[in-house]
Amino acid sequence: MDKQQDFVLRSIEERGVKFIRLWFTDVIGSLKSVAIAPAEVEGAFAEGVGIDGSAIEGLTRAYEADVLLRPDPTTFQTLPWRGEVEPTARMFCDIETPDGEPAMADPRNVLRRALGKAADRGFTFYTHPEIEFYLMRSSALDESGQPVPVDTAGYFDNVPGGTAHDFRRRSVRMLEDLGISVEFSHHEGGPGQNEIDLRYADALTMADNIMTFRTVVKEVAIEEGVYATFMPKPFSDHPGSGMHTHLSLFEGDTNAFYEAGGQYQLSAVGRRFIAGLLKHAPEITAVTNQFVNSYKRLWGGGEAPSFVCWGHNNRSALVRVPLYKPNKGQSSRIEYRALDSAANPYLAFALMLAAGLKGVEEGYELPPEAEDNVWLLTDGERRALGYNALPSSLGDAVRLMEESELVAETLGEQVFNYVLLNKRSEWAEYRNQVTPFELQRNLGIL
Amino acid sequence: MSRNHTSRTELARLGFTDTAVATERLATLPASLGTLFALAADPDQALRLIVRLRERASAAVDELLAGQDAAAHLVRILGASAALGEFFERHPEQLAVLREPLAALPTAAELGTRLAASVSVDDVRVRYRRELVRIAAWDLASADPLEAVEPVAAALADLAGATLDAALTLARGSLRFPATEVADMRLAIIGMGKAGARELNYISDVDVIYVVDAVDETSVDRAVVIGAELAKAVSHIVNGNSVEPALWELDANLRPEGADGALVRTLASHVAYYERWAQSWEFQALLKARPLAGDLELGLRYVDAITPFVWSSAKRENFVDSVQRMRERVTEHIPAEERDVQLKLGLGGLRDVEFTIQLLQLVHGQTDESVRLRDTLGALGALAAGGYIGRDEAASFARDYRFLRLLEHRIQLANLVRSHLMPRDDERLRVLARASGQAGGSGELVELWQATRVRVRGLHERLFYRPLLSAVASLPGEDFQITSEQAVARLAGVGFVDPEGALRHIAALTSGLSRRATIQRNLLPILLQWLAEGADPDHGLLTFRRLSETLGESHWYLRMLRDSSGTAHRLMRLLSGSRFIGDLFLNTPEAVAWLSDDEELAPRSLESLLEEGAAIIGRHTDTIDDAAAALRGIRRREILRLAIAGILQLRDVQQLGHALTDVTEALITSALALARGTGVDGADDGIEFAVIAMGRYGGRELGFGSDADVMYVYRAITAEPAAAQSRAEQIVLALRRLTDDIRIRFDLDEGLRPEGKNGAIVRSLESYRAYYERWSLTWEAQALLRARYAAGDEVLGRDFEALADEVRYPAQIGDRELREVKRIKARVEAERLPQGADPSRHLKLGRGSLSDIEWLVQLVQLAHASTVGELRTTSTLDALDAAAGAKLIPISDAALLRDTWQFVARARSALMLWTGKTTDVLPGDRAQLEGIARLLGYPRGSAGAFEDSYLRQTRQTRRVFERLFFD
Repeated sequence: MDKQQDFVLRSIEERGVKFIRLWFTDVIGSLKSVAIAPAEVEGAFAEGVGIDGSAIEGLTRAYEADVLLRPDPTTFQTLPWRGEVEPTARMFCDIETPDGEPAMADPRNVLRRALGKAADRGFTFYTHPEIEFYLMRSSALDESGQPVPVDTAGYFDNVPGGTAHDFRRRSVRMLEDLGISVEFSHHEGGPGQNEIDLRYADALTMADNIMTFRTVVKEVAIEEGVYATFMPKPFSDHPGSGMHTHLSLFEGDTNAFYEAGGQYQLSAVGRRFIAGLLKHAPEITAVTNQFVNSYKRLWGGGEAPSFVCWGHNNRSALVRVPLYKPNKGQSSRIEYRALDSAANPYLAFALMLAAGLKGVEEGYELPPEAEDNVWLLTDGERRALGYNALPSSLGDAVRLMEESELVAETLGEQVFNYVLLNKRSEWAEYRNQVTPFELQRNLGIL
Repeated sequence: MSRNHTSRTELARLGFTDTAVATERLATLPASLGTLFALAADPDQALRLIVRLRERASAAVDELLAGQDAAAHLVRILGASAALGEFFERHPEQLAVLREPLAALPTAAELGTRLAASVSVDDVRVRYRRELVRIAAWDLASADPLEAVEPVAAALADLAGATLDAALTLARGSLRFPATEVADMRLAIIGMGKAGARELNYISDVDVIYVVDAVDETSVDRAVVIGAELAKAVSHIVNGNSVEPALWELDANLRPEGADGALVRTLASHVAYYERWAQSWEFQALLKARPLAGDLELGLRYVDAITPFVWSSAKRENFVDSVQRMRERVTEHIPAEERDVQLKLGLGGLRDVEFTIQLLQLVHGQTDESVRLRDTLGALGALAAGGYIGRDEAASFARDYRFLRLLEHRIQLANLVRSHLMPRDDERLRVLARASGQAGGSGELVELWQATRVRVRGLHERLFYRPLLSAVASLPGEDFQITSEQAVARLAGVGFVDPEGALRHIAALTSGLSRRATIQRNLLPILLQWLAEGADPDHGLLTFRRLSETLGESHWYLRMLRDSSGTAHRLMRLLSGSRFIGDLFLNTPEAVAWLSDDEELAPRSLESLLEEGAAIIGRHTDTIDDAAAALRGIRRREILRLAIAGILQLRDVQQLGHALTDVTEALITSALALARGTGVDGADDGIEFAVIAMGRYGGRELGFGSDADVMYVYRAITAEPAAAQSRAEQIVLALRRLTDDIRIRFDLDEGLRPEGKNGAIVRSLESYRAYYERWSLTWEAQALLRARYAAGDEVLGRDFEALADEVRYPAQIGDRELREVKRIKARVEAERLPQGADPSRHLKLGRGSLSDIEWLVQLVQLAHASTVGELRTTSTLDALDAAAGAKLIPISDAALLRDTWQFVARARSALMLWTGKTTDVLPGDRAQLEGIARLLGYPRGSAGAFEDSYLRQTRQTRRVFERLFFD
């Protein structure tokens, strides 16, 4: 048995852990959990824990086969929230087939495969997300059918004695307890809207961290008697919750995006990576922005990146090259701004990486940067400048994804299929709705 | 001088070949030296080089020659190594080293001190070579050169380490970074491979990995930059251009991510890589890792951190795959012209020994720390001490390994170039024989080497597999026994899923005193090795046991297994790769004999099958059922033949389709003759009767386990219409009964006839005509596209085809009809799939699989066959090619459709061969997918890859289909 596993077994003993939650994620990005007793952990390491494979297929379950959860001992953490009466710990799991091969349908394995491909070329992939979310009084709606935020503050406002302040402090503490470093946290533009930035880490660790983060935020909200939501666009009139994510590639311990003399200190690898992201952005949008509601954020104005272009410090561009800090070659990075807080981080990171690497491999040319606010241009201007639009609805996004070999190859045929099944059915159900908009607009006059 | 006359013979005896030149040259030297040249591997060369050295530095040489020991060393060195001779020519002052005491090899500490005094690149290299002279002098003077192999290899590794330390010190002084920063920089050079295992050759790449340490995270950046510069500088010092020639290549490609990875990493970064990304074969390379130079404390921390990976990885992840990887390294591509002279690669080479020892270490080292040693000979000893291999065998293989290494050492010493090739010419072989002290002449040396190669080739079988037998039975002449737990660990290590069960089969096959048991005891080790290469070794071994019990003492069988390893190998491959074949072999055991002859595995022609059928009918005139049984036996036999040819990839899927069609045709034709001979009226029953092949049978595209789609037609000649109809119905019933086979199911499927299940089972030609004229439904026309006369009265059959042509190749087809075909297809998709089946996994009716392609091709045929003659074919692939040729389907789409059709057809046959059951659903179970993938020629461990490419290919095909068919 290896040292990490020994460490886990010892920690369980020393800390008197009574339950161990085995965490894994379905294709939609919902966290799933199976609890086992301490006595079962050793067996779980050696042989895995059997579950029904349809658990990871999302809402439309097509195909059933038994799979094994194999806990990853490096992710062992005791859970700090009060909701757990007895000491409880968690480990993320890889999902394997009964003969020990990684399951093709496991989102974590999708990301592992994509990272493995990058590793074959000498690259490791790091991400740093800025996660936005809203705090509501509760999950219930008011009499006008709207959610009720906990405050009415704005961007970077300090709310004295406010719920949000306490909330962020407590969340950050808890995240740090779980070994997740927080870079930054502040009040965001919308009422009750907050942002917490996680310190950069390799993409697999980060995807795990995001799953943990969502759970922590929800748990703390419950403790504080409020409700936290990662819904991309809960209010028509306020900004949506994005998950702008900074990306960087390392070769060993060296940042591959950095080149001392390059434009914005960007290396050729960096430029091609951006070109890849731009070219393939429309076809990966059904994953980076996976809900009907995601498109309300993408097309809701404000700072949402609806058009495919890049810029240096241009907050209307899809890809932004942030201000460079002198002499910090390690910190060279680019920011992808379409992603929202409700994405499945494993699949989204895998696709962003694959799109960027495609650009690196095929040597895509980076188009000229966008210097204006793209939202203020006319359609004709945008067309002249070659800024395509991201899909305008989930339906469009799914159609683009269906045609994409890049997405199929990166997700693997099975996950590709499950995602499409889920998203087609969500789109079909949405289309069946008669919305308040139609009733208000049409009932009176037709 | 009078001595010279007598010494010509004397000189030849000393080993000179050109005695005239030798006489002349010796005359210039002190007379007492003459006999010393017997010590030289190549006396002519030694003499020539001494004379040349004297011309340059007579004082230094003469001083040496004055001392008996020093002179002997010089003669040995120059006789064995022209390269070291050149070194002395460049640096005559270095000759002094031969006057120092050379009774012992230099220790690591001595080497370290002496190399550490280096002041420049050239100085490092000269010092290195001076120590090399010391080692070579000791080596060449040793009484038993075989025993010297180990200490010499260890000293060479120590010398490499000392050299790298010296180079590192120099490198630190050469960098353009602040001196204190460079001096504080902690860098460890980890030795891998032979350098790590302290078993280095005289000249070979030195495999290394670099590790740096950083005080905190912010300095990682800096550490990596400086570390990489240091590593490059070190590499330049040992291998870059300078006055004194380069030493050897410093190879860092075993590092994380290989040649693409960063040259230098921190310890944390290494560990992170091995935790996350490393393939399990990479861990096996770590088995040899040892701090070689630089910061030893950091090096030890590195080794401590990665050692657990070696032994824990062996326990689980894809261990069997990585074994396969190692094995591939043994037999990796050897250029044809080197095949006969390779010491290192190939079966029987050095790497073969290393593979077997490492495999045993990895299997048994999981539980027994005593076998976790780095070097090959040490590990061999530990395995013997632990009782995993016999002591005598261990000793014998240690000797063989030393012998091969000794030859390699001497070959490399000669010119100090990296070579693993035996010399070809006699003269150089003679010199090698003298240099190694192992043989009197070239012939004897080659014989010895060949005998060693043969022994080593059997090593894997002897050390790994043979002891498995000792676990279940005491074998005569074996001096040790492994426990059954150890045997189980080994069997599990090479892929047996139920190793306990396998051990029971081994016991059953080898126990007893019969001739069979004796032969099987001898053969089983290698047979087990072959079975382990297959996808299902457990089932293969079980079937082999049953087959052996059936064939009992048959002499040919045992002889064939014993004498023809090619045949036995094939048999094991078949038995461990296909359940279908295993079952058929048990029914037709004599088919084992075909395996030794590819002629026997060629498909039989339809003609010869029909002849054989006719002969059977002739023999069994009175007992129809016996005759039918014999005819069905022919079919099973031929299916077995084709299955073997398919699995051994002697025939492709199209050839197999044709051959399976012939086998079906032969059975139907013969059975029909039998059926018609049985009527009340005898053969002359007043009607003509023919069988029309439909569907894939009509297209001559049958797979293993396909039904035969047919229709029947008759024409009354003398019989009354009603009698003719009933006579035809009798024939059909008889035909069904006579062909019915439960062993390998044979189904005549009449579902494509007019009106389907509700229609008459057989019709007259006129009735068909009337039907088609009256109803002329598009789907009937579509079904007729693949109608082909197969058996019975040919004139009638051809008349039917002519009738079919009118229906299936209409001069004009309306949009309404074409729309109807599309609508039916859409409905069929929804209805015909079995309840709950996943469309993406159905091989026949699924998304983008066979029937999509066939419908598309048929739609094109219906629309265009009247004008494009090439479309008039029953074969899907031929029609597809014709459609592409006539630009009715874009060429690139047609290529994809063709690929997919063949891929899916092959997968469908493989599924049948693997499981032995008829099913059209791609299994989800890994083991099943693995078996199918292996039959399709994928490497081990490709279940996921095969599944993914099936799903991808059919998805892409479906997109093409939807675009071309519905739009």
